[in-house]
Amino acid sequence: MRLKRTATALAAASLLAVAACGGGGGSEDSSDRQTLGEGGNAGSGQDAEAEAPAADVEGATAGGTITVNANVAPETLDPTRAYYTDSTAIMSGLVTRSLTQYKYDAETKEMVLVPDMATDLGQASDDNKTWTFTLREGLKYEDGTDVKAEDVAYAIKRSFAVEELPDGPTYNQTFFLDGDTYKGPFQDGDDYAGVETSGNDITIKMARPFGDMAYYASFPSFTAIPQAKDTNPDAYGNKPLATGPYKFESYQKGQSLTLVKNDQWDPATDTTRHQYADEYQFNFSQDQTKIDNVVLDDQGVGQTTINYTPIAPSVYDRAQESGRLAIGTQPCTFMWYIDNTKITDDKVRQALAWAYPYRAAWRAGGYIEGVTRAPSTSILPPGTAGRETFEAIEGQDGQTTDPAKAKALLKEAGAEGFEIKWPYQTDLPESVKAKDVQAQALTAAGFKATPVAATSDTIRALQSDASADLNIRSQGWCSDWPSGGSWFPAILDGGLVGQEGMPNKAQFKQADADEQQDKILDTLAGTEANDAWGSFDKFISQKYHPVVTIGYGGVALVHGSKIGGVGIDNVRGEPTYSDLYVKK
Amino acid sequence: MSISSAGLENPADALEPDPSADTALEKAVAGRSPVQQAMEQLRRDRVAVTCAIIIVLFVVLALLAPVITWLWGVSWKTPSGDVVLSSTDFDGLPIVGPPKGDFTWEHPLGLSPALARDNLALWLYGARTSIGVALVATIASTIIGITVGLIGGFARGTLETVVNWTINFFLSLPFILVALILAPIVIGYYGSEPGKLTVAQFASLLFVLSVFGWMPLARLIRGEVLSLREREFVQAARVIGVPTRTILRRELLPNLVAPIIVFFSLSMPTFVSAEAGLAYLGIGVTGYPSWGQTINDAMAANAFNTYPLYLWAPILGVLALVVALNLLGDAVRDAFDPKTRR
Repeated sequence: MRLKRTATALAAASLLAVAACGGGGGSEDSSDRQTLGEGGNAGSGQDAEAEAPAADVEGATAGGTITVNANVAPETLDPTRAYYTDSTAIMSGLVTRSLTQYKYDAETKEMVLVPDMATDLGQASDDNKTWTFTLREGLKYEDGTDVKAEDVAYAIKRSFAVEELPDGPTYNQTFFLDGDTYKGPFQDGDDYAGVETSGNDITIKMARPFGDMAYYASFPSFTAIPQAKDTNPDAYGNKPLATGPYKFESYQKGQSLTLVKNDQWDPATDTTRHQYADEYQFNFSQDQTKIDNVVLDDQGVGQTTINYTPIAPSVYDRAQESGRLAIGTQPCTFMWYIDNTKITDDKVRQALAWAYPYRAAWRAGGYIEGVTRAPSTSILPPGTAGRETFEAIEGQDGQTTDPAKAKALLKEAGAEGFEIKWPYQTDLPESVKAKDVQAQALTAAGFKATPVAATSDTIRALQSDASADLNIRSQGWCSDWPSGGSWFPAILDGGLVGQEGMPNKAQFKQADADEQQDKILDTLAGTEANDAWGSFDKFISQKYHPVVTIGYGGVALVHGSKIGGVGIDNVRGEPTYSDLYVKK
Repeated sequence: MSISSAGLENPADALEPDPSADTALEKAVAGRSPVQQAMEQLRRDRVAVTCAIIIVLFVVLALLAPVITWLWGVSWKTPSGDVVLSSTDFDGLPIVGPPKGDFTWEHPLGLSPALARDNLALWLYGARTSIGVALVATIASTIIGITVGLIGGFARGTLETVVNWTINFFLSLPFILVALILAPIVIGYYGSEPGKLTVAQFASLLFVLSVFGWMPLARLIRGEVLSLREREFVQAARVIGVPTRTILRRELLPNLVAPIIVFFSLSMPTFVSAEAGLAYLGIGVTGYPSWGQTINDAMAANAFNTYPLYLWAPILGVLALVVALNLLGDAVRDAFDPKTRR
């Protein structure tokens, strides 16, 4: 899943805990500061027996309007295209139901995968190549018509239409039957052999074993869309038909979204959602300083407001004092992808890991050490099933900068003064500051630092262009589900080198690594596969150092004094929308 | 923000030479040119003198920025990562100097949040950027304005149409829009060469400011020339065969000194604010300090609540400089305008 800030691709759901983001403690004088705790599962728990209706949130009361502010805006809210953390959380939490879903467990603060529109978490055949989901009885759209299995099948076919509906998840193409040839109902018609329906059953067929289908089925693209209503795919996202407790009343792309109660939603069919507030008012593209102050001042509408943009560091103390700060983890790893075709000497890649100013770059970039950034070692973030704890380079704990070691390695490699070219955004002050610190550190370590200027509009294209004059690309990735299966095949697979959009930003292609990946994908499933991905992480990190991991993610969100039920969805790093209520 | 000089909205009547006043004065004080008279009045104007002193002070500080920062041992450049970490708290606010530490003479204006750059150095170099950009842009736009205005006023036929059309064309271009478009283009071209990028950004900033700053002066000059060119002394020069270029330079230009000086003095403050405004919007110079960038950064860091000094230092800089330049400009206009001469 992609992060809400467009420049950072994110995969959302690590199903296990983003645990162990214990943080380096940060600055000494504020030891009482709230930091990310140990443990956490980032959604790796499963509960196939979860029952509807969902248990009430303690103390919840009905009524009122909840205002949600953010300094970013979703590009689209079309269920098929919703692949950013914010759009996924909003749509899945309130508007569109899918086959499975995550439920917030307030006691453990974990997300647990539970059945949603389906009666269970899907029945897989022994080889994991056929998955069957059975639809619940009594599901209705906002217009009162019944949800049919054919509608879910249509939604799945629709998610193959990557040309008409770009930016969605891409696992269909990798795993589903004919994923490489079927181009969706708009081009190839309704005739797709990979999805069959019979009564309330939906059967999905795979081209290769796909053990993580139950997780994948939680994405909004596995909702129900009646084909008759989808006359114009470009416009459907402006008012998607609601199956959840809230429906669109008005939506202004990039500005605002108003959701009102959907009276056709029946809590007796829903294992995760509630319908406490009368209305949700989302305001996008707001000024960060403004929205922080509105909530912290806690006056009028600010009392019933929650921000899904993490709080600015400078007001963190104030937010914590107010007692209205919720912090949680995000299953994301931020990386400097080293272009392995341009920086071919492993010693230079290791030198980069010693040269990088981890803690200073977090500080300069506006992240709070131990809260919104934590030291990272493995590529897989904490909470991922099967993750191994290791140091890619001995002694490098993800926060140590040692210019002397970097210099020595460069000298050994005979590459003193090696030029590093990485992009930054001139119109984003945090990016400029982080660049200053990075340049300073690289120079101190004996590199030649050449930051490449870009703007918010151009950086995505620049980072996706393999021919651009860069040898470092900076991006984050978040789990789509908490297993290495949503990481390496998506971002570090040799087969991706040369593909449009540059999914493998490290241009990492090694025969032994690719062989291992194929073996895991084709022969292993479940725990075995998870563990194999954990070992694979260690194998490539220690042998090739294809990336420098520059931190794991976390979020710190503030809310007004009258908002109750606030939890952090640690699959996406967003508020748990359907548990929110307005206190009386 | 508009960079048309508000004070010149209706300049033609304010600046029209008043021959009767001139003759009257000539009788009383023989041998003094209008410029000398204006200077005499300016010297007696206490506001003008105070403003001039403030401006000179700013200029001196800007010119001596490298010396002062060297003497003080501070720099606007980003310190090493270790210094960043030891000088700032977890939330980026400095612990050396305000707001979290005590005042220290080593950094009298404190350090900037997150990067721990010295605010005194940022302020001094910001003054350099402001004054330098405003001065160069003013000179450039004055030269363009005079040239186009003279040609537009004196030429006839096709040339006159072309010049007038050009003035109107530039007046109709939305200044902010062009600045917004130009910034990413410059970044696209020079993005991978950090040194050249700063130079190119300075150049494009000066280009935008100059190209959108000359039209008021050109119109003003053209209006003046239109009325002057039918006067006897011009016709006499033409009759005896003086080349057009010489007529423009020798006969017309001296009569236009007053409006030019007034334009010049009133353009400076508008360019100072325009530069700060563009930098605030993130489309000015990056990689070199400027007050606008500091204000932008302070706003983003919520400094209004948490670190007021960081926000107020550059704001007061812009404010003092613009007010002083404006008041001096007003005084200059008054001094050159016989009707308001006191």
